[in-house]
Amino acid sequence: MRAIRTAPGACGAHVAAPQAPPSPSPARRQRRTLRTIGSGLSKHFVLIVLSAMFALPLVWMIGTSFKTAGQALQMPVVWWPHPFLWSNYPDLFAALPYFRFFLNTFLYAAITIVGVCVSSSLVAYGFSRLRWPGRDAVFYVMLMTLILPFACTLIPLFVMYKRFGWIGGYLPLEVPTFFGSSVFSTFLLRQFFMTIPQTLSDAARIDGASEFYIYRRIILPLAKPAMAAVILFQFVYCWNDFLGPLVYIGDQNRYPLSLGLDLILGEYTTNWAWVMAGATAATAPIVILFFFTQRTFIQGITLTGTKG
Amino acid sequence: MQAATTRVTLTARAIRSPRARRLWLGLVFVSPWLIGYCAFYLYPFLATLYYSFTSFTGIGNPVFTGLANYSGLLHDAAFRTAVFNTFYYTIIEVPFSTVAALGLALLLNMNVRGQAVYRTLFYIPSIVPVVASSLIFVWIFQPSFGIVNDLLSDVHINGPDWFFSISWSKPTFILLGLWGLGQPMVIYLAALQGVPREMYEVALLEGAGPWQRLRKVTIPMISPVILFNVILALVLSVQYFTQAQVIESPPGSPGNSTMFYITYYYQQAFQFLHLGYASAMAAFLFAGVLIITVVLLRTSSRWVYYENEQR
Repeated sequence: MRAIRTAPGACGAHVAAPQAPPSPSPARRQRRTLRTIGSGLSKHFVLIVLSAMFALPLVWMIGTSFKTAGQALQMPVVWWPHPFLWSNYPDLFAALPYFRFFLNTFLYAAITIVGVCVSSSLVAYGFSRLRWPGRDAVFYVMLMTLILPFACTLIPLFVMYKRFGWIGGYLPLEVPTFFGSSVFSTFLLRQFFMTIPQTLSDAARIDGASEFYIYRRIILPLAKPAMAAVILFQFVYCWNDFLGPLVYIGDQNRYPLSLGLDLILGEYTTNWAWVMAGATAATAPIVILFFFTQRTFIQGITLTGTKG
Repeated sequence: MQAATTRVTLTARAIRSPRARRLWLGLVFVSPWLIGYCAFYLYPFLATLYYSFTSFTGIGNPVFTGLANYSGLLHDAAFRTAVFNTFYYTIIEVPFSTVAALGLALLLNMNVRGQAVYRTLFYIPSIVPVVASSLIFVWIFQPSFGIVNDLLSDVHINGPDWFFSISWSKPTFILLGLWGLGQPMVIYLAALQGVPREMYEVALLEGAGPWQRLRKVTIPMISPVILFNVILALVLSVQYFTQAQVIESPPGSPGNSTMFYITYYYQQAFQFLHLGYASAMAAFLFAGVLIITVVLLRTSSRWVYYENEQR
C-alpha cells in the first residue's frame, strides 16, 4: 500500500489521468490546468446556484420581517426593505407574550437536558462499558423503539397522564426524559463510550474502584464532547418540538415558542411582516447557537449517523 | 425461620457468582431505561393494541367491540385517502432527498474549496424550527404575493396555488421536505470521508472510471449508513404531521389532499375522541412500519456491505 501511495501520478482521487506521462509538454499541462479550473468552476457554479436556492427562503424571511405590512404585499416584489422597519419586532413582542414563550421553552429544555444527561449516560454506560448476559439483545430492543411510531403509544399515555393530573403542564414531556426516553442520546453516548479504551476501566477496577465511581470520575469527564452534543441536540429538539406541547399544553401562557409561532399565523395572516418577524425571532437563536457550536454538532451527527 | 435463612444465603451466593453479579450490575445501570421502557413504551403499546378492539372515548371504560374498528377502517374513504397521501409523500420524498443528499455530499467530497462553508449553508435549513420553516414556505409559496410565483411570472409562467391547490399541495410539502436534506447530507459526507483513500487509488490503478469508482467502491462502502438513514427517513415520513398541521387550515385541506395518516389519526383521537378507532389506525401503522423495516433489513444483505462481519 505504501508503495502505491508514493507512486507518481497516483497521489489522490483528483488526478484525472493517471496514465499521463511524467513530464507533460507545456501546452498539455496548460490544457490540463484549464480543464481542472473548468471542472472546479462548474462544481462551484452548481454549488452556488444550489446554495442560493437553499438560502433564498431565509433571506426572504429576514427581508420581509423589516418591511411594512403593505410593502410585504407589493408586487413586483421589493428586495430591499424601504423604509427599513425595525418596529415589527417590538410590536410583535408587545402583541404576544413572546418572552413568556421563550422562557417556557428554555425551562422545558433545561429540565429535559438534566433528565437526558443523567439517565442516558447511565444507560449508555450499562450498554457499553459493562458486559452482562443478554446485553446486546436488550440493546436491540431499545433500538427497536426508534421505529415505533409515536401514535402507537400516545392515547394510553394521554389517558395515564390525565389520571395523574399532568395534562396542561410540561410533566408528560419532562418526566420520561429521566427514564432514558431519548434513545438517540443514549445511542450517541454509547457509541462514544465504546471508543474509550477498556484498559482504563480495568486499571481502576484493580485499584478497587466501584463501577459507579468509574462512571462518574473516569468515563463522564472523558465524554464531555459527547455530552455537549447531547445537550445541544436536546436543546434543539425542545426548541423545535411542536407535537408534544400541542397534545399536552392547553393554556396559551404556558405555550413554548413553537406553539406561540403557530398562533401568529392564525391571528395575523394579513401581516406577513409580523409573521416573518416571529419566524426570524424563533430561528435566529438556534442558527447563532449552531454557528458557535458547529464542531460539536457535526461530530455528534457523525457519531450517531455513520456508525449505525 | 430455617427456610428464610436458606433463601438469604442462596441469594447471596447467586449474587456472588460473577455472571449473576455482572447481570445485576448491568441491569442497575440500564434500569432507568428499563423502567421508562415499561411505563412509556411497552405498557402504552399493549394498551393501544387493546383499545383498538374497543369503543373508547376516554371517559369510562373501553367497551370491547371485536374487529369493528378494523372493519370500519376498511370501509372508510377518508382513511384510504390518508393512506394514499402519506404513501405519495413518502414514495417521492424519501428517494428524492436520499439521492439529492448523497449527490450533494459526493459533490462536496470532491476536494471543493470552501467545503465547510457550503456544508454549513446546506445544513442550516434543517435546524430551522419546523413551525418557522412551515411559515416561511407558506409565505414564499403564497399564490398572489409570494416570491416564487413572482419569479415564475418573470419567465412568463403562471404559478399554481401551491399549498392551496389540490394537485400541487403534496408536491409543495415535498419541496419543503427537500429543503431539510442537510441532515442526511452531513451524515453522508462524514461517511464518504471515512472511505479509505487506498481503495480509490487501487481502483484508479485498475483503470476504473469515475462511474465505476462510485458504483464499486463508494456506494458499497457507505451502504450501511444509507440503509440506516433510509429506514429512519421512512419511519419519519409515514408520520408526517407537523408541517401540514401548521400550514393547512382546516387540517387536511384543500379537499383532503393533505390529509396525511397522522393528520387523520390526530383528528379521530383528539377532535372526535374516537380513541378506539384511532388506536386501530396506530396498530395498522405499526404493522406497516414493521413490514417496511423487515423487508429493507432482509433485502439489505444483497446491497449492504459490512466491512468486517462482527455483528
